[in-house]
Amino acid sequence: MNAFTAVLEGLPLTVGLTLAAFAIGISGAVPLALGLSSPVVPLQLACRLFVDLVRGVPIIVWLFLLKFGIQIGTFKFNPVGAAIVGLGVVSVAYLAEIYRGGLQAVPRGQLEAAHALGLPRGSTFFRVVVPQAFRIVSPSIATYLVGLLKDSSIASTIIVAEMVFQSQSFARQHPTVEGILPYVIVGVVYIALSLPVAYLSRWLDARMRKVVHV
Amino acid sequence: MSWLTAWAGYLPQMMSGLGVSLMIAAVSIVAGYPLGLVLSLMVRAKNLAARTLGLALVEVGRGAPALVILYLFYYGLPKFGIAFESITAACLALIWNAAAYSSEIIRAGIQSVPRGQLEASNALGLSQRDTFFRITMPQGMRSAIPGLMGVAIQMFQGTSLAYGIAVPELMKTAYNIGSQDFNYLQIFTLAGLCYAVISMPATWITVFFEKRMARHA
Amino acid sequence: MTLSPPADSKLVPRLGIKLDNISKRYGDHVVLDDVSLHVEPGTVTALIGPSGAGKSTFLRCINLLERPDAGTIRVAGHTIEPGKAVNGRDLAALRSTVGMVFQSFNLFPHMTALKNVSFPQQRVLGRSKEEADARSMQLLERVGLKEKAGQHPGRCSGGQQQRIAIARALALDPSIMLFDEPTSALDPEVGLEVLSVMRELAADGMTMVVVTHEMQFARDVSDTLVVMADCKIIEQGDPKAIMSDPAEARTRRFLRAVLER
Repeated sequence: MNAFTAVLEGLPLTVGLTLAAFAIGISGAVPLALGLSSPVVPLQLACRLFVDLVRGVPIIVWLFLLKFGIQIGTFKFNPVGAAIVGLGVVSVAYLAEIYRGGLQAVPRGQLEAAHALGLPRGSTFFRVVVPQAFRIVSPSIATYLVGLLKDSSIASTIIVAEMVFQSQSFARQHPTVEGILPYVIVGVVYIALSLPVAYLSRWLDARMRKVVHV
Repeated sequence: MSWLTAWAGYLPQMMSGLGVSLMIAAVSIVAGYPLGLVLSLMVRAKNLAARTLGLALVEVGRGAPALVILYLFYYGLPKFGIAFESITAACLALIWNAAAYSSEIIRAGIQSVPRGQLEASNALGLSQRDTFFRITMPQGMRSAIPGLMGVAIQMFQGTSLAYGIAVPELMKTAYNIGSQDFNYLQIFTLAGLCYAVISMPATWITVFFEKRMARHA
Repeated sequence: MTLSPPADSKLVPRLGIKLDNISKRYGDHVVLDDVSLHVEPGTVTALIGPSGAGKSTFLRCINLLERPDAGTIRVAGHTIEPGKAVNGRDLAALRSTVGMVFQSFNLFPHMTALKNVSFPQQRVLGRSKEEADARSMQLLERVGLKEKAGQHPGRCSGGQQQRIAIARALALDPSIMLFDEPTSALDPEVGLEVLSVMRELAADGMTMVVVTHEMQFARDVSDTLVVMADCKIIEQGDPKAIMSDPAEARTRRFLRAVLER
């Protein structure tokens, strides 16, 4: 087996982990972002504390906490479960902050115009604010997805057999110069995987600037 | 209560781990910022070789996970006879990481300087050099400050990855303690709090700066 | 483009502007179509016309902030022809004899008012800091802002910023001053402060080209009124004559629209 195929063996898990955590993130962040933008102060502060706490602790600590620290009855996380939940919760916090920024960036005049027209609160939010906010944040979301892809590599530290883990085990079995290869290859694969998303982000950004003048 | 007494017992060891983490973070940003500035200049250089090298260093430093760069330095390079102590490898990897991120932030800051500033400088007959170093760069660097503070926080958190190459920083210290008495929940919670106690106020200060600068823009 | 050094700068103390057959386009979009304008030394020329007429672009050609595609530019004894490169030092020399004031002031926000005025003198004219600061204080006093010397532009009102910007341009002892809608970003009453500084300058005999929407200023202060529309000069001459009896229907429509506001 050569270094390249060794690295690629971890690819499905890397992609799977990333997408699973991303799915948790983009949906879980919605209520949290609403909480962050809520006029109810205690709720807003509680959400703020949650977001800042989750982001204030390195991902590796969350993964170890879940993998080794959590035991409820006979239940313990397996490595992949801990990685998905850990990365998912971290995504929820980061994406909620991105959503909140987007909601805030919609010009006040839009709300005032909607109120002046007598639009109900629901339509004002879902038909006026959200579509504009989504355009504003879509490049940031794409950028976050690239970050999440790279962060999924941290799952290798709790023995999830993704690409970096596969690279390490190949390197360990090949204590020659060949052992450096998987690290180079895995780096290139990450960059190659990021390129389309980075490109998408740039495209969304250019499009957003055309539609919304910020 | 038992948690608090346990934590009090762990604290001396944890503090020395935290010291190592802070030291690595400090080294990575103190070297990473100036290198980031150099990279941002290289990326916009006229010389093709300098530009290509600059772009490659930035794209790899940002595009590859920090953990991979860390392993490359620690496990990879010794195969070519270049061996580092684990702590040196951690510093080098994070310096690269910090430089790559800083360079993008500095570049964006410089790009955000209004066109009118360049026009005014040109209309006054200031040289290209003066225009860049005295007009564009000071303003660009100023708007890069919150982003650069963000990089510092990211680097501090990134030191936890040095666990992977057995640097005795905070995370590794916590793991070692945990593997003695198996009370992982207790020790990793303490580790998380140690990181949060520094990261959270640092983030708040960054946000404060960001808001203040948005107001003065 | 090439810049020949001022041939007769010692013989002619004040120098005019001769722009001949200037054309400029961005891709398929024509901005200036064969425009010519001569400005006598010591006179004030007001450029008016609807937005998109090419006034600002034309003004920017005078100090080469825009490079025209065709035409000849003679400014303050320098001659520039398209198609030949301009060396940086010549360009700087030309630009320091032509002062420019922008709609959005463009003061350097990281420098105090004094530094804004002194810094270009030090770097472009090679004056010492003391010399430059002395001249700056003189000019700040002239625009009525001596007390703002130590403040950053962010702490000054729009009208004050624009007056500092005028002082900054004057500090390089230009023989020509260009104004690109200097009061458009200001409240009417604040604009008056700026206009009064400009009136004094005109009274002192400065050669000025002013793109403006201030019709009263154009009528009272300018020697020549130039009306631009659709990338061309459609009419020029005595301001009072044109304003009371425009020759072109396009001018009449523009004046009516502006004056009825």
